Amino acid sequence: MSSAKTVSVLFLTVALSLICSGPANAGVADGRRVFEAKKCGSCHQSVGPAAEKTIKDQLAKKGPELWYAGSKFRPGFLEGWLANPKPIRPLQYNSVTKKNDGGHARLNTAEATDVAAYLMSLTSNEVRPSNIQPGDNPRGKRVFITKVACYGCHELNSRGKVVGGLSGPSLVGASRRLNVDWVFAYLTNPQVFKPVKDMPNYVGIIDKKEMADLAAYVTGLE
Amino acid sequence: MKRYVMYIAVLAAVLAALPAEGRAATAEENYQFYCAQCHGTGGRGDGPNAVESQPVSPRDHTSAVAMNKLTDEDIINAIEGGGAATSKSVLMPPFGKTLTKAEVVELKDYLRKLCKCKGK
Ligand code: HEC
Ligand code: HEC
Ligand code: HEC
Repeated sequence: MSSAKTVSVLFLTVALSLICSGPANAGVADGRRVFEAKKCGSCHQSVGPAAEKTIKDQLAKKGPELWYAGSKFRPGFLEGWLANPKPIRPLQYNSVTKKNDGGHARLNTAEATDVAAYLMSLTSNEVRPSNIQPGDNPRGKRVFITKVACYGCHELNSRGKVVGGLSGPSLVGASRRLNVDWVFAYLTNPQVFKPVKDMPNYVGIIDKKEMADLAAYVTGLE
Repeated sequence: MKRYVMYIAVLAAVLAALPAEGRAATAEENYQFYCAQCHGTGGRGDGPNAVESQPVSPRDHTSAVAMNKLTDEDIINAIEGGGAATSKSVLMPPFGKTLTKAEVVELKDYLRKLCKCKGK
């Protein structure tokens, strides 16, 4: 065998083994194809970094950005939500008057699994392992309720009753939806993920320790 | 002289064509984006966050009686530091790290127009 042939056989073997290397990778590629075919990108930004600079930019958006979805969501959440989407934001996106009646695009189970695999591959290296433990963090709760009143804009479950404001995404069931490391990064480094939003910037108002406690509390919410 | 006029016209055209980014938001834009979620689009304290389970209602910015109790300084402090800065409910959030000082002052003027009042 000539050396050129050896190299090409070797190349083919490596290429083949890459293509066939397990269902995870296949799901990502298939998921991406579904994402493109269904034009999900007409409402969702899937490539970072954050592009919005003004209120007008934000109001022109039709849906939340997904370019860091793999850092934001807990493993397993997207598969279920994409097959059976239930409102996360009580109000329609970018509206302060209209109720969100649902009706988000729905995928079949196979598509949902592939698209979830694709979205979970979109990560941000600004989200790092923080070692914060989600749970009923009393210090975080104190900040959330009495220090800065996060519940002014976010719903949560309080002794079986849903209370709180409606303009932010609901935090009911956040323990199944949100990754604690992402929530911590979102609070401490808001410019990276959402430079223009109707939630105030708390950097310089509450310190990093309090943000860690808040992240723990938020991602412990049932 | 003619050339001078031309120059101004071209400059104006360029400025008008500039993308929105880089230009500061107006008080109206800021109010509708940040404040209306609680105070309502018309400022009556009836935004979507003013739900029954909340312990305190957002201030009615159109009420001269309520808004006359506040000095311009009080309003600026409340917007920058939230309710904590004026011994009111922390349900009024702090926007001092979100808005520039100039934007806060313009919002104060906007509130004065809503209440048609000058304050104490
Ligand atoms: C017409 C615009 C539109 C299209 C098309 C669309 N979405 Fe959405 N999507 C939205 C809006 C608006 C929300 C917020 C819904 C909510 O909060 O309940 C959303 C929420 C999501 C979320 C949750 C994100 C978060 O941060 O809470 C995911 C994941 C998602 N969409 C994926 C998809 C996929 C996959 C497709 C294509 C099959 C798709 N979307 C098509 C508008 C759209
Ligand atoms: C004035 C209203 C308001 C207040 C007060 C507020 N938020 Fe938010 N929050 C929002 C809005 C609106 C969004 C969605 C921003 C976007 O993606 O456009 C949001 C997003 C979030 C998210 C991301 C949720 C998701 O699914 O994308 C978290 C986590 C969060 N807020 C936590 C907090 C915490 C913790 C506090 C208190 C320190 C707080 N918020 C106070 C309005 C508020
Ligand atoms: C999360 C809901 C919320 C948001 C967002 C909000 N407010 Fe308020 N605001 C309140 C509440 C509740 C009160 C009443 C506090 C009290 O009476 O103890 C209040 C009170 C005020 C007061 C009176 C303060 C005082 O000392 O009496 C001013 C002025 C004010 N808000 C301006 C604004 C402006 C301007 C914005 C937007 C930049 C804004 N608010 C955004 C909830 C909110």
